[in-house]
Amino acid sequence: MSTLRQFEPLALPCMEAAFNLAFWLVRSRADAEDIVQEAYLRAFRAFDGFRGGDMRPWLLAIVRNTAYRWLSNRRRSGTVISLEEAFADGSGQSADDIASDEPTAEERLIGAAERDYVLRALAELPPAFREVLVLREIEGFAYRKIAEVTGVPVGTVMSRLSRGRGELRKVLTRLMGKDEPNAM
Amino acid sequence: MQCERVRELLSPYLDGELSAEERRAVAAHLGECRGCSAQLSDFRRVGQTLAEAGPEPVPKALTARVRSNLARVAHAEPTPISALIQKPLAGASSVRRGVLRQAAVIAAACVLSAVATWLATSNLAQQHRLEQDVLAAHVRSLLQDSPIQVASSDAHTVKPWFAGRIDFSPEVKDLASEGFPLVGGRLDYVGGRRVGAVVYKRRLHVVNVFMWPSASAGDVAPRLMTRNGYNLLTWSRGGVDYWAASDLNAGDLAQLQALL
Repeated sequence: MSTLRQFEPLALPCMEAAFNLAFWLVRSRADAEDIVQEAYLRAFRAFDGFRGGDMRPWLLAIVRNTAYRWLSNRRRSGTVISLEEAFADGSGQSADDIASDEPTAEERLIGAAERDYVLRALAELPPAFREVLVLREIEGFAYRKIAEVTGVPVGTVMSRLSRGRGELRKVLTRLMGKDEPNAM
Repeated sequence: MQCERVRELLSPYLDGELSAEERRAVAAHLGECRGCSAQLSDFRRVGQTLAEAGPEPVPKALTARVRSNLARVAHAEPTPISALIQKPLAGASSVRRGVLRQAAVIAAACVLSAVATWLATSNLAQQHRLEQDVLAAHVRSLLQDSPIQVASSDAHTVKPWFAGRIDFSPEVKDLASEGFPLVGGRLDYVGGRRVGAVVYKRRLHVVNVFMWPSASAGDVAPRLMTRNGYNLLTWSRGGVDYWAASDLNAGDLAQLQALL
């Protein structure tokens, strides 16, 4: 109980980042929920090994491992969820949902459409690029922390981000069509 | 610097992860190369779009689910046996009797402590399950739009509502003048059975009082415990088990108990 009291105040504030990483790795809200629950139990059992400081990289590394284990199980069982399904299962990220929450100014609509394209393009990238982009662009992690989460050297983080951004730009250009010459 | 080399450095340049020297070289190149600076602005724009989209929203009930899992695991952790048998061991060695006798004492102590542990944990496990159920029911009621199914500050509306819904008539009192206005009642599921929940308020705090017919006839004095930051108070009176759950302080909770 006493360790739970120490664990919760450190771990619960990481929930948003944990769920976000899990979601982007498995691209399903329902599966991400299961992964986060399992990861928190694993983290609690491994709490002795936490050396203090910022808990996010330590906890996210566990979330990531749990998600990858889950992904490899799914691959073995042969079920593959399509991108359309991943976005249809209530991710709340469709252009319609976002636009409905916001003022109807044309600018906002264009922004929402662009956001939809960017999120779709991100979902198409291989997980190794997806995870570094999520940690960098959404969570704002420094390279050193991304290296802690993914368990690779900082140099590898740097090159993956560099290639990931290039790939993202390519996919976006394809998604947005050739009729827009200056597509991102 | 060549474009090819600069393109490799654009991403760390954007993230502020280059050395001062590299940064200067990239900046100088960007000033005169439109292709590279267009790529940089694309990277920046996509990054901003992702940052604005923000993290995927966390499902409402996830935190509660994670916490209840953790509480279950924390309670289920077995007490290390070494901690349980140390005391009898120390007592036996100080007596300084024969080796065989000492061994017999130790063996007896082990058996005794094992039996005591088994008795204590099976009782405790049951108790823990009940506490977890009460806590979960309380937290669940707070997560929903309304903690009640029948809303009334009138005890004569709430009490009859329970008739036919549960197999006994729960205690419902209007304690507004004592500072515990009645909010209403609902049915809940605790300890594997359907129970009545009467909801009171104290200032902004919600108090759930769960009730069900007691398994034993005797009255039991109130016992207070704190779980996950919530106070739980349990007592038995007149053949009914009561569990009150709230984030209210222990003193106020005890006051409510005395009024019921």
